[in-house]
Amino acid sequence: MTHLVPLYVILPLATAFLIPVIGRMVKGFQKTLFSAVLLFLTVLTFYILFSGVDQPVAYKIGGWEPVAGVPIAIYLVMDGLSALVLLIISLIGFLAGFYAISYIKRYTAENNFYALLALMIAGMNGVVLTGDMFNLYVFLEIAVIASYALVAFGIERTELEASFKYQVLGGVASLLILLGVAMLYWKTQTLNMAHISQVLAQSENNAFLTFTQILLISGFGLKAAMIPFHAWLPDAHSSAPAPISAMLSGVLIKAVGVYALLRLFFNMFAIDFQISLVITAIGTLSMVIGVLLAIGQWDLKRLLAYHSISQMGYVVIGVGMGMILLVEGGDRSVASLAIAGGLFHLINHAVFKGLLFLNAGAIEHVTGTRNLKMMGGLFKTLPVTSTTSLGASLSISGIPPFNGFFSKLIIIVAAIQGEFYLLAALAVVVSIITLASFMKFQRYAFFDQPKFSKKIREVPFTMRFSMIVLVILCLGLSLLIFPGVREIILSPAVDVLMETTNYATTTLTGM
Amino acid sequence: MEALYYIIFLPIVTGILLLILPERLKPIKAGITLVVALMVLYMSIGMYGQHPEIISLPLVPEAGLHSSWMAKTLAGMSQFMSFNLDHLGQLIILFAAGFAAIISVYSLIYVTPQKKIFHFYPFFLITLGCAMGAALADNLLLFLFFWGVMGFTLYKLIKGKDPRSSAAAKKTLIIVGASDGIMILGVAIIWKLTGTWSMSQLSLATASSLEVTAFITLLVGSFTKAGAFPFHSWIPDYGENAPPPSSAYLPASLDKLLGIYFLARICIDLFRVNPTLTLILLIIAVTTIIIAVMMALIQHNFKRLLSFHAVSQVGYMVLGIALATPLGVAAGLFHMVNHALYKSGLFLSAGSIQEKTGQVDLDQLGGLSSKMPVTFFSALIFALAISGIPPLNGFASKWMIYQGIIDFGQTGGIASQLWIVWLALAVLGSALTLASFIKFISGIFLGRRKSAFDNLKEVNFLMWFPKLLLALTCIGFGVFATSWVVPHLFQPYTGTIEYIGIWESSTVSLLVVFSLILGGVFYLLGNVKNMRTADAFLGGEAIQEKAGYRVTEFYNTVRELRPLKGLYDKAEKSWFDIYYLFKNLFYGLHYVFKVLHTGVMTTYVIWIFAGFIIIMLWLL
Repeated sequence: MTHLVPLYVILPLATAFLIPVIGRMVKGFQKTLFSAVLLFLTVLTFYILFSGVDQPVAYKIGGWEPVAGVPIAIYLVMDGLSALVLLIISLIGFLAGFYAISYIKRYTAENNFYALLALMIAGMNGVVLTGDMFNLYVFLEIAVIASYALVAFGIERTELEASFKYQVLGGVASLLILLGVAMLYWKTQTLNMAHISQVLAQSENNAFLTFTQILLISGFGLKAAMIPFHAWLPDAHSSAPAPISAMLSGVLIKAVGVYALLRLFFNMFAIDFQISLVITAIGTLSMVIGVLLAIGQWDLKRLLAYHSISQMGYVVIGVGMGMILLVEGGDRSVASLAIAGGLFHLINHAVFKGLLFLNAGAIEHVTGTRNLKMMGGLFKTLPVTSTTSLGASLSISGIPPFNGFFSKLIIIVAAIQGEFYLLAALAVVVSIITLASFMKFQRYAFFDQPKFSKKIREVPFTMRFSMIVLVILCLGLSLLIFPGVREIILSPAVDVLMETTNYATTTLTGM
Repeated sequence: MEALYYIIFLPIVTGILLLILPERLKPIKAGITLVVALMVLYMSIGMYGQHPEIISLPLVPEAGLHSSWMAKTLAGMSQFMSFNLDHLGQLIILFAAGFAAIISVYSLIYVTPQKKIFHFYPFFLITLGCAMGAALADNLLLFLFFWGVMGFTLYKLIKGKDPRSSAAAKKTLIIVGASDGIMILGVAIIWKLTGTWSMSQLSLATASSLEVTAFITLLVGSFTKAGAFPFHSWIPDYGENAPPPSSAYLPASLDKLLGIYFLARICIDLFRVNPTLTLILLIIAVTTIIIAVMMALIQHNFKRLLSFHAVSQVGYMVLGIALATPLGVAAGLFHMVNHALYKSGLFLSAGSIQEKTGQVDLDQLGGLSSKMPVTFFSALIFALAISGIPPLNGFASKWMIYQGIIDFGQTGGIASQLWIVWLALAVLGSALTLASFIKFISGIFLGRRKSAFDNLKEVNFLMWFPKLLLALTCIGFGVFATSWVVPHLFQPYTGTIEYIGIWESSTVSLLVVFSLILGGVFYLLGNVKNMRTADAFLGGEAIQEKAGYRVTEFYNTVRELRPLKGLYDKAEKSWFDIYYLFKNLFYGLHYVFKVLHTGVMTTYVIWIFAGFIIIMLWLL
C-alpha cells in the first residue's frame, strides 16, 4: 500500500498541469480528467480504509532511508486521520467538480477553473499526508494560493475585494506559520514531524516552545477560521463560485486548518493542558459568536459561511474536550467519545455544508440572486434543490434522522460525561439558533409565493446528481455511530489522536 | 414479538416507499395509508392487555454474517433496540393507532385532484411509526430519535404556500426542534448519573441539582410536544394554518398523547418528583388553563380558537399527572384520551366547514345547523364534551381531576395546602371553555344564515363518518367512564383508584337523560302550539342582515375590559411568546457583532494580532 500514497499528490498535480496544456485542444478534456482522477482517489481511499489503517504507513520520497535514526527524506504518512480527511477531500472534490460541469458554463475559462481546483486538491492532499513541517507549509501555500485565485474567479468587484482581503489575511497566517516552522527548526534542527516530536520529548517545556505553539495556533486557527481569526471567511466563501465555496467551507478549512492543528498538537507537540484550554476556548468562541453572526444574514452564502465558523467550533470543542481529558488523566473512554464526536462532526460538516453551498449555487444559478428576501416559492420549481437543502438544513440543525443529530448528540453526551456542563448547554443553544437560521433559509427560499416573474427550471443533471448523492450521505453517515462502519472509517482516526505518541514512534521505526 | 417489528417499521417503511411513488398515484397512496393504519390498529389491539415486558428486538438473526461490517452495523443498532411494552405504552399505541385510522379515513377525501396536500400520506405513515416507536421505546436514545423525527414530520405536514403558513411552519419546527435539543441534555445527564439508557431501570430522586436539571430539560420536551405554557405558542399558529387533517392528527391527538405519555413517564417512573417541583408543575398547569382559555375567548378564527383550547386542556392533564396519586394520574391520562377524541373531532369539523364554505372566520358564518346536520350534531357533542357537560367524557375526566385535587389536599406540603386554588382555577377554566364554545357553536351553526350558504350540502360520507364515530366514542366514554373505561384502560397502569364521594358515571348519565326527557315532556305539554312567530324587527323596520348582532361581538366586551385590554394588546403583539422573546434577544446580539464587522481590513488584521497577544498573555 505504501507505493499508493504519493498518488494523492501526483495525480491532482499532474491533472493541474495537463489541463491547460491538452485542454485547449481537446474539448471536454478538463472535466473528464478531473472527475476521473477524483473518482479514482475516492475509490482508492475507500480501498485503503477498508483494508485497514491501524498503523501509520510512511512513504519516503526519493527512497532515502534514515541515517543513524535521523530521517532525511520527506515522509508522506498515511494513517487513520489522514485517510479520513483524504476521504472528505476526494469525495467532496469529486462531487463539487462534477457539479461544476454544468455550473461553470457561465464562466469562460473552464480550463483554468479545473486546473486551479486540481491544484488546490493537490495542495490539500499534500498537507494531509506530509510528515515534514516545511513541506506542510509549501503544500499549504499551494492550496491557499489556488484558492485565492478561485475566490477571485468571477473577477467582479466583490470577488476581487474578497480575494484581496483573503490574500492579505491569509498572508498574515502564512507568516505566522512560517515563523513557527522556522523557530521549530532552530530549536530542534529537524523538520520531520515525528523526529521533532522525539526531540521535543527530551527537551524541557519552556517559554520558547510555548511561543512557537501560540504562533502555530494563531496561524492554523486563521486557516480554520476560528474567532477572532475568522474575518476573511465570510467574504471569501460567499464570493467564490458555488462549487468552490463548497470546497472551501466543506474541505479547505478542515484540511489546512483543523487537521493541521490536530496533527501538530496531538501528535507532534506533547499534549499540554494550557494549549488544550486555549483550543477549547477558541472553539467555544467560534461556536457561539459564529452562529450569532449568522442568524441575521440575508445573503444566503454569507449565512452559510458564518455557520461554517460555528460548526467548526463544534468540531474543535469536541476534540478540545478530549484533549483536556487526556492531559488531565480523566476517563479515556470519555476522551475518546469526545474526539469521536468532533471528528464525526468534521465529516458531517463537510457533507452538509458542501451540499448547502451547492444548493445556494443552484438557487443563484436559476434566480440570479443570493438575497433571501428576493427568493420565495422555489419549492415547486426546484424540487430536487429544495428537498436536498431541507435534508442538509435539518442535518446541520441536528434533527434526526440526519447525521448532524448524531454527531451533536455524541459531543453533548461527551461534554456532560466530562463535566463540561457549560459547554454542553452552549452546544444546545447554538444548535437551536442554527435551527432557527436554517428554518429562515427554508422559509424565505422555498416556501411562500414566488417573488419574481422570471421563468425558471430545475438545474441540469450534473448539479442535481451531486446534490442527491450528498443528501443520501447526510442520511447514510448516521450509521457511523454504530460499530461496523465506524470501526472502518472513524475509529482509526480517533485512535491516532488518542495514542498521541504512537505517530512519532511508528513513523520513525518504519512500521 | 414479531408484531412489534410491524407496528413500528411497517408504517415507516411504507411511508418511505410512498415518498418515491409519483404524485398522480394519490388515490393508491391514500388507500395504502388507510390499510396500513388499520393493520397497525389491529396489531395494537392485539397487543393490548399483554403482560408488561422489556423486549429487545435484534435486527439481525443470530446466525447472521457476523464478520461483515454490514452485520456489525446492524448488530450495533440492535443494542439500542429495546422496547418497554408496559400498560402505559400499550394504552398510548392503542389510541395513537385508533386516531391514525380515523383520520386516514377522513383524509381519503383529499384524494381528489384539486386538493394538493403535498406528501401528506408518506409523512402521515412515518409519523405513525415514529409515534409507536416513541411510545414503546425503552432506550432513551431510541426514544429521542423517534421523538425528534416526529418534530420533522410535523413540519412536513403543513403546507407553506403563503406567508402566514410558512411562518407557522418555521416557528413550529424551531420550537419543537429546540425542545428536542434541550432534551438531549437531560438524557446525557441521566446517563452520567446512572450509566444506563434504559428507562425501565431508572428511578431518580430529584434531590441534586443535576437531577433537577435533567428533570426540567425532559419536562421542557414533554411540555413542548403536548403544548403547555410557556412552550405552547407553536400550536395556535400551526392549527390556524395547517390543513385540518394535519391539525387533528398531530397537535390535537398524537402529539398530545406522546407529550402527556412522556410527562407521566418522567413524573411517575423516571423520577420521584420533589414537592417544590410539584408546586411548579401545578402552577404551570393552572397558568396554562387560564391563559390559553382567555386567549381562546377573543379569537375570531375558529381554527385558532380550537388551537388555543388544545393548549388550555393540556393544563388539566398536567394538573392530574402532577398530583402523582393514582386517581390524579388516571384522571390526567383519561383527560388526555378524551381531549384527543373531541379535539381531533373538532378539527375535523372545522375542516368540513372550511371545505364547504371556504371561511375560517366566525363572523362570516352562521346558521349552518340545518344544512350540515351531522357536522352540527357531532360538533355539538364535542363542544359539550370539552366544556365538561355531563354525561360526556370531558365531564367524567374533569370530575376525576377535581376529585384528585381534593384528595391531594389531604396530604401535607405547600402544594396541597393550596388545593383550593388549583380547584378554583380549574373550575373557572372549565366555565370559560364553555363560554368560548358557545361562541364557536352559535357563531357557526346558529343565528342567521347568510344567503351565500343557502345551497350548502352536508359533507360526504368519508368526512362525516369519522366525526360521528368520534362523537359516539365521546358519549360512550362518558357514560361508561367508571363502569368500564377507567377500570379497563387506566387502572392497569395506575393501580386501583379510590374515588372520594359517590361517583357513578352511568347513574349520572341516566339521571341526565331522565332530566332531558322530563324537560322534553314539559316542553310538549306547554303552550308550544300556540306560540306566535313573526319576523324579527328593530325599531319598526324588518331586521337587516347587517343589523343582526354577531355572537362574537358579545365577547368583545371581554377584550375591552380594563385590566385585560392591556394584556391582550401585548399578547397580540407577541410580548409573551417565548419564540419572539428569544428571537429578539438573538437578533439583538447579532447586531452587536454585526456592527463590529466593518469590512475594513486593517481592523481584521488588528483582531488577529489582538487574539495572538491575548493567547500569549494567557500562556506566557
